[in-house]
Amino acid sequence: MNPAFFIAPLAISAVSAVLAALISLTDKIVNNYGEVTININGGKKKLQVNGGAPLLFSLAETGIYVPSACGGRGSCGACTVKVKTDIGPHLPTETPYLTKEQIADDVRLSCQIKVKQDLDIEIPESLFNIRKFTGVVERIADLTHDIKEVYIKLEDGQEANFVAGQYGQFEVPPYAKIRERTQRAYSMSSAPSDKGHLEFLVRLVPGGIVTTYVHEHMKEGEKVNVVAPVGEFHVQDNDSTMICVAGGSGMAPFKSIFNDMIETGKIEERDVWYFFGARTTKDLFYMDWLKELDAKYDRFHFIAALSEPQSDEPWDGETGLITDVLGKYLESVIDQEKTKEGYLCGSPGMLDACMAVMRKHDMKEENIYFDKFA
Amino acid sequence: MKMSPEYTKAQERMQPGVITSDGFLGDDTRPIVDIIAADEQTMTKLGLDFETMCSLMHRLVAEGRKGLGEPVTVQNSWVARVDEARGFLASPFDDGIFRKINVELELAPNGKPTGEKILYSELSLHLIEKHHFFQGKGSPFRLDPAQAKKVLRL
Repeated sequence: MNPAFFIAPLAISAVSAVLAALISLTDKIVNNYGEVTININGGKKKLQVNGGAPLLFSLAETGIYVPSACGGRGSCGACTVKVKTDIGPHLPTETPYLTKEQIADDVRLSCQIKVKQDLDIEIPESLFNIRKFTGVVERIADLTHDIKEVYIKLEDGQEANFVAGQYGQFEVPPYAKIRERTQRAYSMSSAPSDKGHLEFLVRLVPGGIVTTYVHEHMKEGEKVNVVAPVGEFHVQDNDSTMICVAGGSGMAPFKSIFNDMIETGKIEERDVWYFFGARTTKDLFYMDWLKELDAKYDRFHFIAALSEPQSDEPWDGETGLITDVLGKYLESVIDQEKTKEGYLCGSPGMLDACMAVMRKHDMKEENIYFDKFA
Repeated sequence: MKMSPEYTKAQERMQPGVITSDGFLGDDTRPIVDIIAADEQTMTKLGLDFETMCSLMHRLVAEGRKGLGEPVTVQNSWVARVDEARGFLASPFDDGIFRKINVELELAPNGKPTGEKILYSELSLHLIEKHHFFQGKGSPFRLDPAQAKKVLRL
């Protein structure tokens, strides 16, 4: 037999192996940035990290969690950080998510830029308080046909300190065809005083990765991770009339806020109007509790509205889109003379529609508060 | 049909974890040109044209958004629920970014839901409209042309 039959494949294999080794060696040399320093807020924190990873993940490794609604995939635009070091021009994967002002101000998407050199960055100091909690799902309850209440007991020794209205990044494990852990943001619905637990309201979104997991796979007793507390949404400390609007699982921060106001007595000190929109009676929940608050506290007013009440359902409340009902009350029911503040929780479209109604009724944009993370 | 370099790159970007966690191909191992060709053939067999179908789907997105996150009855024929999330998704064909808007559309003649549904997003609608790509079998956002015909009443 011709020895070339054996020699040729061996020679090709040997050359391939040498090339693979060369590529591996080159990769280690070229992409080895060694240990680099991230200097945060003018030296308030200095981190030593191994270079080469995206800034978002390098920060998370050291316990600093920059909010991200997409888990670092570069599709939400939330993980902004000001980078004072010159690291080159903004990437095409960043610019669609940043305003001209942000680009001029050296704001970058931390999931898109890699740590290749020492960096000076600026982040809100509130991010220093965000941490990763581990807990066990103590209870999962059906609130409606598509909303679940998930109550998590934090592991011993962990205490959540948050302000009513803030949110957490809820993490679910890989499942079915999803190969990686996935995080999504949900407002805490538990009261801040319940430091040993975190509660979330999760509405099933068709095709949603985290919501499908919670609704179809999550079990009581299961371990979960939550990065919290995140967000600036909270009740301002003044005596303005609060105009609160939500729909669906947007109820969550208001449950936390109202329970906090009850505990601190503030529910008796200022006027609160809470507008909750749903389609039919089967989409309503917590009604007994909210009606009880309305009856018990003179200054608390609860208005539920159904956009499409069914003919076979008893309903004597408001009907129509929540924005129309809000407009009607701002026009003719709520005291025109008092200063008003808006508090909103819902989808970007719902927020825009509510803000338009509030502006039309002379509410100032700077007095309308929300977290646009939905 | 042959895979051009653009299609090869697009197929790479359709893998799970690149643009979306579950990707655009599901369990389908065919090259995307074959997926597109097969669905174009099905569209012809069903007597459907892309322009009419996509135009109606766009109109239904606009109507569904009026529900502000709640399901809304449209033209006494459908119940549309539009969910919006923060941010955008890039097209795997690198020809634009799209808001994270999902639509679940249920056929409901005279307001009576039938259980017949389709699910699409602003991005998946773009992929159908511009690239005739309905996504691979098993992908959560694959739109089966026959199901689309039934639900959209085309």
